[in-house]
Amino acid sequence: MNSNNGNGRVWNTASGLHLKNFYAPDDVPESHRKHVAVPPGESPFHRGAYPTGYRTKPWRIFQLSGFGKPEDENERIRFLLEQGETGFIMEHDRNTGDHCYNVDHPDVVARREDVGLTGAVMQSVRDIDICMKDLPLATSYGHAGGAVVQHAPFALAGYWTVAKQRGVDLARLPGTGQSDFFLTYLGCVTKQQIPTRDGLRFNADIMEFCDKHLPRWVPVSIAGYNGADTGLNAYQELGALFANAVEYLEEIKRRNTMPLENAARACGGVNFRASMDLFEEASKMRAARLMWQQLLERRYAITNPKVANLRIHCVTAGSRMTYQQPLNNIVRGTVMALAAALGGVQSLGVSGYDEALSIPSEHAHQMSVRIQQILQEETNIQAVTDPLGGSYYVETLTAELVERAWEFFDEIMEQGGFLASLDSGWLHERAAENQSEDFRQQESGEQVIIGVTDHKDDVSPFDVDGFMGVDDAYDVALERLHEVRRTRYEKGASQALGALESVCRDGENIMPAMMDALAAEVTLGEIGDVYRSVFGDWATPIQT
Amino acid sequence: MSTAGKRILMAKTGLDGHWRGPTVVAKALRDAGFEVIMIGMARPEEVMQASIDEDVDLVGLNIGGHVDVAVRAIGMVRESRPEVPIFVGGVVPPHAKRKLEGLGVEVYPPGSQLPDIVAAAVRLTGAA
Repeated sequence: MNSNNGNGRVWNTASGLHLKNFYAPDDVPESHRKHVAVPPGESPFHRGAYPTGYRTKPWRIFQLSGFGKPEDENERIRFLLEQGETGFIMEHDRNTGDHCYNVDHPDVVARREDVGLTGAVMQSVRDIDICMKDLPLATSYGHAGGAVVQHAPFALAGYWTVAKQRGVDLARLPGTGQSDFFLTYLGCVTKQQIPTRDGLRFNADIMEFCDKHLPRWVPVSIAGYNGADTGLNAYQELGALFANAVEYLEEIKRRNTMPLENAARACGGVNFRASMDLFEEASKMRAARLMWQQLLERRYAITNPKVANLRIHCVTAGSRMTYQQPLNNIVRGTVMALAAALGGVQSLGVSGYDEALSIPSEHAHQMSVRIQQILQEETNIQAVTDPLGGSYYVETLTAELVERAWEFFDEIMEQGGFLASLDSGWLHERAAENQSEDFRQQESGEQVIIGVTDHKDDVSPFDVDGFMGVDDAYDVALERLHEVRRTRYEKGASQALGALESVCRDGENIMPAMMDALAAEVTLGEIGDVYRSVFGDWATPIQT
Repeated sequence: MSTAGKRILMAKTGLDGHWRGPTVVAKALRDAGFEVIMIGMARPEEVMQASIDEDVDLVGLNIGGHVDVAVRAIGMVRESRPEVPIFVGGVVPPHAKRKLEGLGVEVYPPGSQLPDIVAAAVRLTGAA
């Protein structure tokens, strides 16, 4: 077969870049060649964030987890840690968390069976305390939850308050927040949400607060994943992610309340998706590191190597996990995890093989950990950093992704920036175009998904019925909500809530008041009511 | 008969905001000539009310949560508009799929192809 005429088929990457049959030295663009000889851990970092790669620091096994009551989630997290997970993620119930509702909100009551299906219900610091029971906070890297922007200050303040109560020094506490714009305003548009401008303020507030009090904490983590799994292709995911980072950095620059370098360091812990195009996805991680270094140097004159080395958490594409023949997803998870590892990511979560059916069962979760352990311990891929470096194909693809991604970045800037591209629905349109194109390709046979478009017979003797969760999450949450209201020091709670409202209106950093509110056992729904009265609702640009 | 003038209500029963599935389906249905009314996240009684107010020929529910919320919505629609067929898509695990099919509701889980969904809409609305 020659370049693009194998049986008349045109060979492209998943994002549509044309591929040749083989690559030779001359294919690597002149301007890119100089990067190839630079070792990992040195600028521009495209060959790796750290000099010794996985030899000294294996990637973190970091699985999303949570359901039911806080004690159910705690049990699952401890199970994962026993299985060899090396960090943990606390997922809050999405119905209540994303919307900052308590369970007695009419919109939740109308869907009470949903409560606890996607994360544990945590309405006050007491619930968070139960969820964090016996977790190794001081030594393990924790994700406090709060993926959705308006929920993040509550989730973070809750985690930090419990850590403080347990005597952990916040100045030494490791972990990460999320507050992701891609999830909140692009991929998973909630029924109610603070406007993007206020969301930007929240994230900058969190960054400032961490700069002062939690220097080891990653305050926010931009998750291109949520853009990609909504439809953005590899170079769009890259371009949009850095456009988002610019929005954060410009806000911090405008405020001039913390060193811009610290803000850049804070923004440099990001999240990408790894999907099924093995070499394109591995190249994407390499391209991302190169782009971050370029962005900081060109736009902000930041060259400090401790800031310019992008650290990546990667999650395998949930949308590529099939409902049909779910055990096939163990293979898909392995391939996507391999792409991430070959791309040199610092942290990885593998979607459960039952992803398209439900949240992960205990066994699916165990398999997600085992896939990573097998890759780490049995394949020897940790021995050599950036094993794809110098491949004519991978270097060419990396350079091409960088070029396309900067073009997409420029398009977003022409729209008025990342926030403007969300407010207008421009970015949603780009994702939607790709969604429809994906289906068209599946219908035409250009895209094959085993078990879905082809080879549909399933003789598996293993029934995968979807994880059922627990059925008492709503009732227990309602009881606990009443108990908090009955037994907390009411005057303290109402003063703390009043103070939070003033801060929301006045524009001061909300985090100190949020910490006080959590300590005073103010509940999630009360905080949400403050947001709704102060900030109103984002004008959603799409119809769902 | 044709799809022209046939109206389909689409609603999300849960509070999960993932929109990729329902919007792709809505686009395919519109491309096939249907009029699609999307009301987003709606409580069971809101689904029922919209099915009356919009005088639809078919109700499509996107499930992003527990099947019993959808079951409640289905019950309410059937009580007030027993002649209107209902179909369901979204994250519907096999146990939930069996429950819905037991109620006579067609289920299109992840991986369903758009032509199959459009064909179902044509059949269920009598547009064939």
